[in-house]
Amino acid sequence: MSVIVDARGLVREYRMGEEIVHALRGVSLTVREGEYVAIVGPSGCGKSTLLNLLGVIDRPTSGELSIAGERVDRLGDSRATEFRLRRIGFVFQRFYLMQALTARENVELPLAEAGMAGTERRDRALDLLDYVGLRKRERHRPSQLSGGEQQRVAIARALANRPALLLADEPTGELDARTGAEMIALFGRLNADGTTIVVVTHDEELASAAQRVVHMRDGEIVG
Amino acid sequence: MLATLALASLLRHRARTALAILGVAVSAAMLLDMVMLSSGMRESFRGLLLSQGFQLRLSPKGTLPFDTEATIRSADSLVALIRARPAVAAVSPVLGGQLHFPTTGATVNATALGIEPAVQGDYELVDGRHPVAEGEVVANDALLRALGRSVGDTVRAAAGYDPQLRTLSGQRVLRVVGRVRFIYLAFEQRAAALPIGTLRAMNGPASADRASLAMVRLRPGADVARERVALERQLRTVTVISTVEAIKQVDERLSYFRQLAVILGAVSLVVGFLLVTTLVTVSVNERIGEITVMRAIGVRRWRVVAQILLESTAIMVVASPLGLALGLVTARWLNSILARFPGLPERIDFFLFQPSAAWTALGLLALSGILAGVYPSWRGASLPIATTMRQEAVG
Amino acid sequence: MRVRLPFILLVLPLGVLSAQSAPTSARGLPQDGPRSIAIDGRLAADAGLRVGDRVVVASEPGVAGDTVVIAGIVQRRADPAEIARGEYRVRLHLDHLQSLLGYGDRVDRFAVATRGGAATADAVSRINDAAYGFRAHRSADVAVETSRTFAVVSRFHRAIGVITIVASAIFLLCIMLLKVDERRRDVAALRLIGCSTRTIVGSVVLEAGAIAVLGSLAGVAVGGAASWIVNQHYQAVYRTPLRFSIVTADIVMLAVSLSLVLGIVAGWLAARRLVRTPPLALFGR
Repeated sequence: MSVIVDARGLVREYRMGEEIVHALRGVSLTVREGEYVAIVGPSGCGKSTLLNLLGVIDRPTSGELSIAGERVDRLGDSRATEFRLRRIGFVFQRFYLMQALTARENVELPLAEAGMAGTERRDRALDLLDYVGLRKRERHRPSQLSGGEQQRVAIARALANRPALLLADEPTGELDARTGAEMIALFGRLNADGTTIVVVTHDEELASAAQRVVHMRDGEIVG
Repeated sequence: MLATLALASLLRHRARTALAILGVAVSAAMLLDMVMLSSGMRESFRGLLLSQGFQLRLSPKGTLPFDTEATIRSADSLVALIRARPAVAAVSPVLGGQLHFPTTGATVNATALGIEPAVQGDYELVDGRHPVAEGEVVANDALLRALGRSVGDTVRAAAGYDPQLRTLSGQRVLRVVGRVRFIYLAFEQRAAALPIGTLRAMNGPASADRASLAMVRLRPGADVARERVALERQLRTVTVISTVEAIKQVDERLSYFRQLAVILGAVSLVVGFLLVTTLVTVSVNERIGEITVMRAIGVRRWRVVAQILLESTAIMVVASPLGLALGLVTARWLNSILARFPGLPERIDFFLFQPSAAWTALGLLALSGILAGVYPSWRGASLPIATTMRQEAVG
Repeated sequence: MRVRLPFILLVLPLGVLSAQSAPTSARGLPQDGPRSIAIDGRLAADAGLRVGDRVVVASEPGVAGDTVVIAGIVQRRADPAEIARGEYRVRLHLDHLQSLLGYGDRVDRFAVATRGGAATADAVSRINDAAYGFRAHRSADVAVETSRTFAVVSRFHRAIGVITIVASAIFLLCIMLLKVDERRRDVAALRLIGCSTRTIVGSVVLEAGAIAVLGSLAGVAVGGAASWIVNQHYQAVYRTPLRFSIVTADIVMLAVSLSLVLGIVAGWLAARRLVRTPPLALFGR
């Protein structure tokens, strides 16, 4: 299995006024293709910061990071954007769907950005909605969908461009227990179908569904 | 997809979008009116001056046509001299004066123009014929109404009063042979035109061989500027002004309106700009989360900016025709007010519609609208993704 | 009835008056020295003339005129009728002008001083009945007639004002809608903790009113400054002491009360719309 995530000595520091916050203090992590990794730890331990670095929406203060064989820790803005579009899938705690667009249009958004033609894009979006069980809700807007349904649309959107790595930040955080369980099952199915997943969570059930659990504390991996 | 998103965002806040469109439309209307005002007068006046084909006007030295009561001496020989010039096609001498029409109630006064009917360029015939014979007169509706006369009637007229003899001087019975529309006279100004010889005779010796103005039509291809200089050099007692100079004179007199147009046009632009800036800023602030997510999932910065700009452009596109229609209606209203401007030809359009004016106004507004959206949308699309998402999650 | 005719005002075309500052020919001079004239400030400035200079005045170009001495330079009155008129004005003694123009014993008009309102009406009626060929007009009527230009401009300004008010109303409504919309989460929180819709609408309307008052006061300051600039500019352009723009207490009151009413109505409309939306929907849930 090839290495999808190769992080070595990642340090991330923020300046807050006069004070420097050490969010990550030299994190090294390897995730192989097809792995399902859960990162857990108390609030403020740096797990979301790590996820942001893995998702190339933030840059480390120091350290090296390669995703799918490409060095990403020093990418410029436009190259990082392109990388996120093609290689990373994001699922957020608050779903963050475009409220003005329908479920299908939300899934189509990254496909359109990648330059896929109209009909092909539509078919792909419908296939993805079908995969997450929402084909019949394609014309609904986010405000007409339940929390669980919105998160499924967000997952379909994250999978649109067949990413090398699916990142999820507290994907069950806004869902009730039953919907959360459905989501855990969906992540399991995704992984079984070959998707590499890194999920940050407080949810023990979600963490226990992962193949590997990484524990963090005070900006370091502790186990 | 960008268009879908932009349209959907606009439709999400219908009341806001409708108000923005209305606001921009009013700004566009005002801007269009002001662009029309700034160039309309000049163009309309140029059209008026050239409508009868006369390119040069001669008035007593140092005056503008009909600006004072001064007249040109030895007008007939002067006209003959001008007519003899090879570049000149026609010369139309005009003598200005007053006619007094005694009626049963009070005396009706009117502006009188002594003209040569064959070459006159002061009126358009509406009904009847030109006053070719001695004692014939044509009048406009305002005068005919005041006199209660129509074409075919006769009317007693005088050129002045003699207080010592307590009588009207230069009295004649004139036959109304035509109803006309004067080109250069003001709104509701009562006026009549009669052969220049008749008016001179009525005025007495003071008007003998006099003219207030002579209009000159040049042959096709003649150099107007050169002919103007040549005439002024040849005829020392007159000032020769070309259409360009006449327009310049009017421009100076009405510079207030041009400046007002520039100021109000600029204010309209600023208002439109502020409206769109405010709208886009609020819209971006409201959707910072969405914008950041778009960036996070790989949508390029310029595409995000383009999508937001598309919204402001859509507002402009919808508001522009609305503004155009509104602008034309208000221009008509404002024009009807300014048409009463004393001393100016009624037929001058202060707000002359020209496609170029409309394009200028709409182009300026569209440009300002797009520029107004650039900064807030670029700022929104350039926020650090991780930090913004964290703040949005807290918010 | 006393007739006062110290000077008669006659407009002469620019070309009619040729000016020389050097001593001129003595032709046409009365034996006791040259007659005196007064010229207006514009002519003095443009031709570089000063009191005591000698010039030649003639009724027409090319005609031998009289050498006169400039005895005074007069400032034009603030008369709307003179706006945008470029010609110069020269004041001569009546008999001098009559002889210069070959007018004989004629004048264009008389100015008559009366002893008040009733006497004026009586004088007008008696002159109009008795003096053949004369027409007496009240000075007030003449003033109305000569300021027709400004009456038209004033109507035009009022029309522009109406358009501006419509534009401001839309702008203000739009801004208030956006401003209140921006506070949807605050409003939702207030409603969730039990604040009545009346309190919320009241606070929004109060805020809108405050913004309108502050904005209009700032507008009055800007208007005052703009008015000063307009006066400076047009007084220089038209060379007149006339004031083109005046910010009066009435205008300030109108502007402030209009924006206050517009602000309150806009705030009320926007707030009412917001309080009718369920609080959770305002939170975006």
